Amino acid sequence: MRPLTDEEMKTVLDKLANYVSDLKSLIAPLEDGDRYVFRLNHSRVYYVKLSLANLATSISRDALLSLGTCLGKMTKTGKFRLHITALPIIAPGARHKIWVKDNGAQPFLYGSNVVKAHVGRWSEDCPEHSGCVVYSMADIPLGFGVTARSTTEARRLDPTGIVCFRQSDCGEYLRDEDTLFAG
Amino acid sequence: MAPTRTVKNKHAASKSGGAAGGKKFPSDGISKTKGRSGSKANLPAKQVRGRPNLPGLDKSKKKKKPVYTDKELGIPELNMITPVGVTKPKGKKKGKVFVDDKESMTTILALVQAEKEGQIESKLMRARQMEEIREARRVEADKKEAERKAKLEDTKDSLRRKRKRTKDGSTGKDQDEENIKAVAATGTKAAKAKKKRVSFAPE
Repeated sequence: MRPLTDEEMKTVLDKLANYVSDLKSLIAPLEDGDRYVFRLNHSRVYYVKLSLANLATSISRDALLSLGTCLGKMTKTGKFRLHITALPIIAPGARHKIWVKDNGAQPFLYGSNVVKAHVGRWSEDCPEHSGCVVYSMADIPLGFGVTARSTTEARRLDPTGIVCFRQSDCGEYLRDEDTLFAG
Repeated sequence: MAPTRTVKNKHAASKSGGAAGGKKFPSDGISKTKGRSGSKANLPAKQVRGRPNLPGLDKSKKKKKPVYTDKELGIPELNMITPVGVTKPKGKKKGKVFVDDKESMTTILALVQAEKEGQIESKLMRARQMEEIREARRVEADKKEAERKAKLEDTKDSLRRKRKRTKDGSTGKDQDEENIKAVAATGTKAAKAKKKRVSFAPE
């Protein structure tokens, strides 16, 4: 387990900035004087309290399976891929949001893209190819994706047209159970 | 080309002059090389003979093959994939520099955020501009369509008016023609109206 390097930190924050509007809140000091830091272990990036990270130094790399919240993993080409486990961190400060109707929640959770017919609401002034968090109509975050069209363009779209390309959804907790946390 | 030629000429001259005055090149090594080469290749042997203390130098020169790098030759580089994570910057200190203190983290964060905001802003601006252009085009197309429709209506109206005028202001001759036409029309219609009927014969 080690802290991130300059480049890695940039890559991770760059990816997070696609979805979160205010990044500063991520590393803001907590009430008890603690703060959150990023740690890397087995090419996975964890978002963890500093006190916990310090405690974890007593565990060897091989023995340490996971700590804090797993944000995603660094690929071999140096890019960063967000996992569904990062949803609780990006959902509260989401830059753009899409709410899907009840009839669209299941297809999304099974791994398909969001079509216009399933959209209940969407945030205004959303450009195309920007990150957005997908919510159910009861304001429960289901996953995140990338917008396929801008809001104005999407209005003219036919009901079967794709509005949001899925990046990750809660169904991955079951589908990718084996590889989500290790391997 | 020029220097080799001059050398050849020199040897040629020496050979031709050898008959006349052979004591011009009286070195031992030269005679050895001559013996080794034999009568196979006269010219190269003579070339060697021309230079003093050459055998050792010659060997080393033959062994040395000039190796040029791609940059020296000016060959364009191959379009190979060099992933970002794999490239290692030269002249930098070995090892990783970790970002763990709050200040440097905040600096990077601010940089990234500003960059992202700029990107999104430019994207939005571009999208708005494109939307405006599309809207203008749509309005123009609608206008053209409306104009075309109005023109069509006008021509229809004018045609209707023309027909009415001809009916109202028609002369006796015209009326006869009209009647004939009408009769012909009704006649044809009557002929057309005649239908074949099928009835069963009474028992």
